[in-house]
Amino acid sequence: MATDVADRRYRAWYAVLLRLYPRPFHERFGEGMAQTFHDLCRERRDAKRGLSGFALWILFETLVGIIRESTIRMTQMSRTILRVALVALGLLMVPLVASQVVDGWNWPPGAFVFVYVLFFAAGMAFALIARRMGAWSYKAGVGLALAAGFVLGWGNMVHMTEKENPAFLVYFGVLVMGGVGAWIARLEAPGMARALYAMAVVLSAMAGTQLLLSGAPAGPDRNQAIGRFVCAAVFAASGLLFRHASLAGTK
Amino acid sequence: MAKKDAPQAPLTPAVLHILLALSTQERHGYGIMKQVQADSQGKVKMGPGTLYGSIGRMMEAGLIRESVKRVDPEMDDERRVYYGITGEGRAALAAELRRYRGVVAVAEGRLSYGN
Repeated sequence: MATDVADRRYRAWYAVLLRLYPRPFHERFGEGMAQTFHDLCRERRDAKRGLSGFALWILFETLVGIIRESTIRMTQMSRTILRVALVALGLLMVPLVASQVVDGWNWPPGAFVFVYVLFFAAGMAFALIARRMGAWSYKAGVGLALAAGFVLGWGNMVHMTEKENPAFLVYFGVLVMGGVGAWIARLEAPGMARALYAMAVVLSAMAGTQLLLSGAPAGPDRNQAIGRFVCAAVFAASGLLFRHASLAGTK
Repeated sequence: MAKKDAPQAPLTPAVLHILLALSTQERHGYGIMKQVQADSQGKVKMGPGTLYGSIGRMMEAGLIRESVKRVDPEMDDERRVYYGITGEGRAALAAELRRYRGVVAVAEGRLSYGN
């Protein structure tokens, strides 16, 4: 009876200890590790051997494992940050070179910093979300959604600046909706697909309304609306990719 | 095709023993531990931290894969994740054993020359 109580106490204590592992590692192996620990406890109990020395060894072994896995994760994260920072720098070269050769392209230095931050943030978002799943369709879905979101956000910001019209802020609502949808879906493929479809529908409706209100057969407003329809189509395509990933059943 | 993270020989003792344990059949975590202990006559003893840390890296390197969750008929009725060796894992194990044979041949040659 006393052994059972000690056994239960050690299991509870080990479950708490496992939570100190990096989250992805804990989510992937936590259950198996707890099960293996239970099996080892049972083996010792059946052999009528004490648990205290064993528990001390497991504590030491687990702490070493936690430090090792955390260090590996930090190293991987540093590499990811460095890679994304370099890719963002490469992409920044496009507007940087363009500002030298295209007439009238005269961004202030702050604009370049802002664009770099946007490239970096989009790249990090892709790197962190896409690693959640091995399926190519999930990664492609994340890539398309971020690219379309980037273009939509950037385009609206430029129009807002040029026309000084805060009405364009409404389009950022689509991006906020996508962010909330991804948060509710906890980045799982089926929920992400639904969020992207919803974004595509709402953006299409907004672009359609803009097209109807603009009235003119051709002009900047019409072109902007067409651009938003394209973004909506890309969101829908991204949703289809997430749907494919969810049907593939890989997590 | 070998994955970019595939470890180059020599393998660590933990990886070698896990590959050996899985070379005949799929096993769950505790099963791997017991097999490693038996294979090494109790000389290699790994806890869950070492075992699952190695399993994670071996899966990333494509040496082993996760199999379906199922109940072990010799144990309780809990469903367990089983692990199995892949073709790359077998190749890595074979390469490691060849390396060991080479080392043993050199060592035996030297020792017999010394005698």
